[in-house]
Amino acid sequence: MHNVLIIDDSDINLTLIKALVLKLGDCSPILFEHPLAALEWCRSNVPDLVIVDYMMPDMDGLKFISAFRALHGRNEIPVLMITANDQKDVRYDALLGGANDFLTKPIDRVEFSARARNMLSLRTGQKYLADRAEHLSALVEERTAEIRDREKELIFRISRAAEFRDPETGAHIQRMAHYSQIIALGLDLSLAQQKLILEAAPMHDVGKIGIPDYILLKPGKLTHEEFEVMKGHARLGQELLKDSRSEVIQAGAEVAISHHEKYDGTGYPYGLKGHQIPLFGRIVAVADVFDALTSERPYKRAWSLDDACKFLEEGRGTHFDPMCVEAFLAGWEHVLDIRQRFRDEEMPQI
Amino acid sequence: MAGLFVLDKASILERLGGDEEIFAMMVDMFVQDVDSNCAALGTALASGDAAVLRREAHTVKGLMATFSDEAGAADAYTVELRARDGLVADQAAAVAGLQQRLREIAAVLSAG
Repeated sequence: MHNVLIIDDSDINLTLIKALVLKLGDCSPILFEHPLAALEWCRSNVPDLVIVDYMMPDMDGLKFISAFRALHGRNEIPVLMITANDQKDVRYDALLGGANDFLTKPIDRVEFSARARNMLSLRTGQKYLADRAEHLSALVEERTAEIRDREKELIFRISRAAEFRDPETGAHIQRMAHYSQIIALGLDLSLAQQKLILEAAPMHDVGKIGIPDYILLKPGKLTHEEFEVMKGHARLGQELLKDSRSEVIQAGAEVAISHHEKYDGTGYPYGLKGHQIPLFGRIVAVADVFDALTSERPYKRAWSLDDACKFLEEGRGTHFDPMCVEAFLAGWEHVLDIRQRFRDEEMPQI
Repeated sequence: MAGLFVLDKASILERLGGDEEIFAMMVDMFVQDVDSNCAALGTALASGDAAVLRREAHTVKGLMATFSDEAGAADAYTVELRARDGLVADQAAAVAGLQQRLREIAAVLSAG
């Protein structure tokens, strides 16, 4: 059903046009004698066709069209202006002002029907295109979400590949990623940044792929030389992830290179200090160390939560960014929830 | 001054696509509105406002054209053009002529 807005200060013309509109079929005429009242109606309603007289009190047809076109989303609606045959100059002005076509007085039914049908066809085409554009946009959004999900899954699996060569578990990746998100929340980072670190943190140890087994899996303490090789995983991780077009993988590269830096400058690989260390690196350092301490491994028992917290607190300003430790401890209830959700013996949900 | 109004129903109906129903509706409305249209013309003249007189003459021109009264519409157009040029006071006779024409059309239409 097409809504056809008719504005004419003459009763007889309104009645005539209404009757002709009804004869078109599938149309609902909406009548106004006063253009200002019609304009008010148009603020909350969208007609499919506007038929407006030129000469009216308060506001003429040209001014009406101009005000109508200025309303949001009314720029494309077809407008027919009714003029007398002698008003050629008015027709030019109306065309420039946004009218799509004209009707001449006295109104002729054949001419009226043809012009009105043309305008309504135009409107139907516009609506079809708008619906199609909306549909395509929804489809693109859906497909993009699928690609993003696939990207997330791949990142998780790449991270798992590295962890498989290590005593660490898939649950460790999930826990430290969620702890990182809790710290980001506590630091008042944006939702987008919180989501970014959640997705990027799992890549922190991806460089371990390039570390020989005899070092990576050595049960005892590493020699100085072995530890130097082990430290290389930070650079290897960055090497693997750098120059990606993906924002998440870029963030992963930053996390990989910086998560072993220490706040006092004694970390590796660059010995960066304080805020020289990228924020994501400072966040992940807290999350990764806390989870490593509180997890049981073949070569060590799990620390108690109290001891792990004490370690973090003692490391404020030396090992860790004090703000990140504070944000982590402030989210303690969430930390406990995450520990419950991702236990070592369970396969985590991707 | 236009001659007597002669109803040319065939031409009006042709314009209305032969629709007798719409024709009858328009006749009823014209007859019903003739007093208020005449009064509006008189008020416009009395107000001395050229823009108002121009608009009322324009409306009357459209009404007359709707009923295929080309001569009456031409008189209304003359009043409209003169009003557009700012002339009001010396149009009393022409306005009276339009009022009389409107009533004449209404009478013919009423008589069928």
